[in-house]
Amino acid sequence: MDNQILSIGGMTCAACAGRIERVVGKLPGVRRAAVNLASEKLFVEYDEASLPLTAIKEAVVKIGYEVLEKPPGGAVTIPVEGMTCAACAGRIEKALRRLDGVLEASVNLATEKAFVTYDPKRVRVSALRAAIEKLGYRAREVDQADAAEEDRRRKQREIRALWTRFVIAAVFSLPLLYIAMAPMITWVRLPFPASLAPMRFPLAYALAELILVVPVIVVGYRFYAVGFKALWQRSPNMDSLIAVGTSAAFLYSLYNMWRIPQGSYHAVDALYFETAGVIITLILLGKSLEAVSKGRTSEAIKKLMGLAPKTAVVLRDGVETEIPIDEVEIGDILLVRPGAKIPVDGTVREGHTAVDESMLTGESMPVDKQAGDEVYAATLNTNGVVQVMATRVGGDTALARIIKLVEDAQGSKAPIAQLADLVSGYFVPIVCAIALVSGVAWYIGTGDVSFSLTIFISVLVIACPCALGLATPTAIMVGTGKGAENGILIKGGEALETAHKVDTIVFDKTGTVTEGKPTVTDVLPAGALSKEALWRLTASAEQGSEHPLGQAIVYGARAEGLTLSPAERFTALIGRGVEAVIDGVAVLVGNAALMEERGVALSQAGSDRLAEEGKTPMYVACDGQLAGIVAVADVVKPSSRAAIESLHRMGIEVAMITGDNRRTAAAIARQIGIDRVLSEVLPQDKSSEIQKLQREGKRVAMVGDGINDAPALVQADIGIAIGSGTDVAMESADIVLMRSDLMDVPTAIRLSRRTIRNIKQNLFWAFGYNTVGIPVAAGVLYLLGGPLLSPIFAAAAMSLSSVSVLTNALRLKRFRADREEVSAA
Amino acid sequence: MKKFLLCALCAVFLLLTACRALDVIGNDSVTSFAEVLDALPAAGAGNTWVLSAPDGAAAFIWSGDFSRTDVYDAWLELDAAPFAAAGLDPTRLPAGMAQGGRLVTGASLGAQAPAPEVSESPVLSYEQIVSQQRARIGHHTAMDHFGVDLGGGFMFEWARDMAANDKDIVFVLNPEPFRQAGADVSAIEGWTLAMVETMDEAGRPIEVEKLLKPFDIG
Repeated sequence: MDNQILSIGGMTCAACAGRIERVVGKLPGVRRAAVNLASEKLFVEYDEASLPLTAIKEAVVKIGYEVLEKPPGGAVTIPVEGMTCAACAGRIEKALRRLDGVLEASVNLATEKAFVTYDPKRVRVSALRAAIEKLGYRAREVDQADAAEEDRRRKQREIRALWTRFVIAAVFSLPLLYIAMAPMITWVRLPFPASLAPMRFPLAYALAELILVVPVIVVGYRFYAVGFKALWQRSPNMDSLIAVGTSAAFLYSLYNMWRIPQGSYHAVDALYFETAGVIITLILLGKSLEAVSKGRTSEAIKKLMGLAPKTAVVLRDGVETEIPIDEVEIGDILLVRPGAKIPVDGTVREGHTAVDESMLTGESMPVDKQAGDEVYAATLNTNGVVQVMATRVGGDTALARIIKLVEDAQGSKAPIAQLADLVSGYFVPIVCAIALVSGVAWYIGTGDVSFSLTIFISVLVIACPCALGLATPTAIMVGTGKGAENGILIKGGEALETAHKVDTIVFDKTGTVTEGKPTVTDVLPAGALSKEALWRLTASAEQGSEHPLGQAIVYGARAEGLTLSPAERFTALIGRGVEAVIDGVAVLVGNAALMEERGVALSQAGSDRLAEEGKTPMYVACDGQLAGIVAVADVVKPSSRAAIESLHRMGIEVAMITGDNRRTAAAIARQIGIDRVLSEVLPQDKSSEIQKLQREGKRVAMVGDGINDAPALVQADIGIAIGSGTDVAMESADIVLMRSDLMDVPTAIRLSRRTIRNIKQNLFWAFGYNTVGIPVAAGVLYLLGGPLLSPIFAAAAMSLSSVSVLTNALRLKRFRADREEVSAA
Repeated sequence: MKKFLLCALCAVFLLLTACRALDVIGNDSVTSFAEVLDALPAAGAGNTWVLSAPDGAAAFIWSGDFSRTDVYDAWLELDAAPFAAAGLDPTRLPAGMAQGGRLVTGASLGAQAPAPEVSESPVLSYEQIVSQQRARIGHHTAMDHFGVDLGGGFMFEWARDMAANDKDIVFVLNPEPFRQAGADVSAIEGWTLAMVETMDEAGRPIEVEKLLKPFDIG
């Protein structure tokens, strides 16, 4: 099975998306086809052995949509200096086209840029630049036209084209609307050309309207081309509604225009050219605003893509060479100066610096890096010069994987979207039927063709389901994008939707609630030794230990600046402790069992308190006498308590799962306010504990970081992996927190709740427009003595519905991770 | 885009200004007026034509020669007696309207002398009015009548299709001057006071009060 993402052009509503899904989904070999209307992408999972990708593309094209191909080979934009006229641009184009491997070259004199598509295997960017420089111009640093840039340009072209069409349509529609409406407005004396007075010059009046409406129809030809094609293929979409509605208005007007020279001058009263023209203009306006808003929903991903540096300085035989980022290979040694971005993922080979990783993790404090430390593409080298060996390049870097993850999430569907999909699938045919029935019913009731036509057109136009199709994906795009901006990677719409229903969160203890590294918390001398002397002796004895607790004592002592003495006759006593001779003193460090074994008298008071607090007491004896206790504990992260309080305020029950004994676990739980403790749980039993909670009817989220958490992350309704965790945990999780800050857990839940609330609002408005709009357009209010909806107002309302849904989705961009809202579960 | 706009606007201009065939009401009014004259011939008096009502109480008079020295080039002449019987005080009418036993009102259509053949034909004389004073020619949709607007709310109308209309010609008066002059406009013998849908100067439909004298001549 292979997965592909294809960019689709020409979709206008949920019905288009549904149609593509149906057609592609029916192809033999296709396992899954999902279309995201907002991102205009088709995600298809298919058997590449039985079905070539070209067959999928052909199927999409056959039903009237475009598959937008990336330019073949590479694409590059080279800023050129020194051009003075069009001839210069022409010369450069010719020179570039002559190069072997250049597929297309165009030079824009105004922007002073050369756009080149080329085969990277046959020609290098440096050769392109050299060719320009050879002509006497200066080719400046290259902008690599990556997929994001190409996508951005395509969207901009689309927006520009839509605006141009709208402007043309408006230029003709406004006078059309004026001459159509001015004679009807009797309470205001609007200036009106006498030569077009409909009662005196009906044919000239009709012809003027016809001449004004034709350009509008020409610029809106796409509605007809796609709409009628879809109708013909028995799969009508929004374009079909527009096409049928405006065509009915146009053809009926044309018929009445023909009647005028036959002597039916009053047929001038039954012209609806302005209805057709203004509907198309308003829909074009709506589509233009929609395109702009849609572009804004994917800003987060564009921001991420924009983080990637374009070039890297590679060291080859001691010589620094700047090369495009695409040309960096694994094993290359890269030089990164202060203020520069790390070009690819790698390991620091030489030097020492602090790296700002906030763009990836959201963590504002720079992280110290020295030889052997890993660094990540797009992070910022703040002070030192370092040499980095590339370990992951291209699509394998952490940034690229994050972008892929966010892209996939933005393209995914939430279960709540199924309702919209289901409705929109039947919507258009039902609307056509309602329009027809209403029109015929009113004709039977009134015998007035013009009136029934007005009803027919209004119903068709107001019922366009585009808002319905945009309701869910736009909110998911903005929500997941906003999450990514805050270091919260939500892997899909389903995760986003499930997260908002969570009522219980289970935290893994070690590494999640706690730092995951034991540290010395208490040093309690029992005899004449000072605190420092006791710690120094203990640490000296533990120097040879490989036990994490012993290492924590040594690490802590060194961090305190204590000078350790060499250990003589060191012996590790498995499961109990160590013994060694330090400066001539026999030192014994270990648990109570060891002390009892060696006959050392213990004082229980201190150790009991420490155990109550969840700490591990290590007894220290010097020459057979108790010298004191050194306590070690895995300390709670600073943000844990605040995070749990925040979750409580959200009405969520918090549990902690750990292999620690009940006493230690309870102590930690007390410290941070955890409601339920699942202690002494073996790693392999964590998922069954989650299951038990689920059997109680709870919606459970599991937060963990280790490999041993992976089964529990999968078992939970929502698995949340924290950033300091392993790749396995991240793979198993539904939500990945880039930082180790537990405050991101309530933030993720809040984001999920906000997004789902936004989706529900969008669906409400989208359904609301149609459920209210259709009866009004069908003349129900008119029947009861109320107003009749003009087709023009129907078109305005329809356009407004899409724009309002998009605007509402864009409100999510105001989500602030640091701003808590109190909401019920 | 500029070229596109320019071409479209040029097309509109050319079509609206150059194509006389578009004036279906003007052209059809000439045809139907000729049919009216066939049914009720006009009397010629020099270059002036008189279409009298069958009861002799009103006449529509027009000329294709606007260079004449007469006050009006197209006008209505009415028998003053029914108006006087309804209380009209002729001295209170606008100047020049009361002329002995007649009431006269009309429009001066300019000073242009027509081609010689125009004056010899009542239809060509009417066509001269259509070509020179097109704004005065209208179509009354509700009645399917063509009409010549004589100014001040006075009109002469005739049916587009006499066979399908029982009001083949209609003399239309504005009752206001008569009301102002003391006449009870609802009690003028031979005239009917009614609300009529017509159009304003911009061609917009309006409802006004009129005195009507219709005849079926077909």
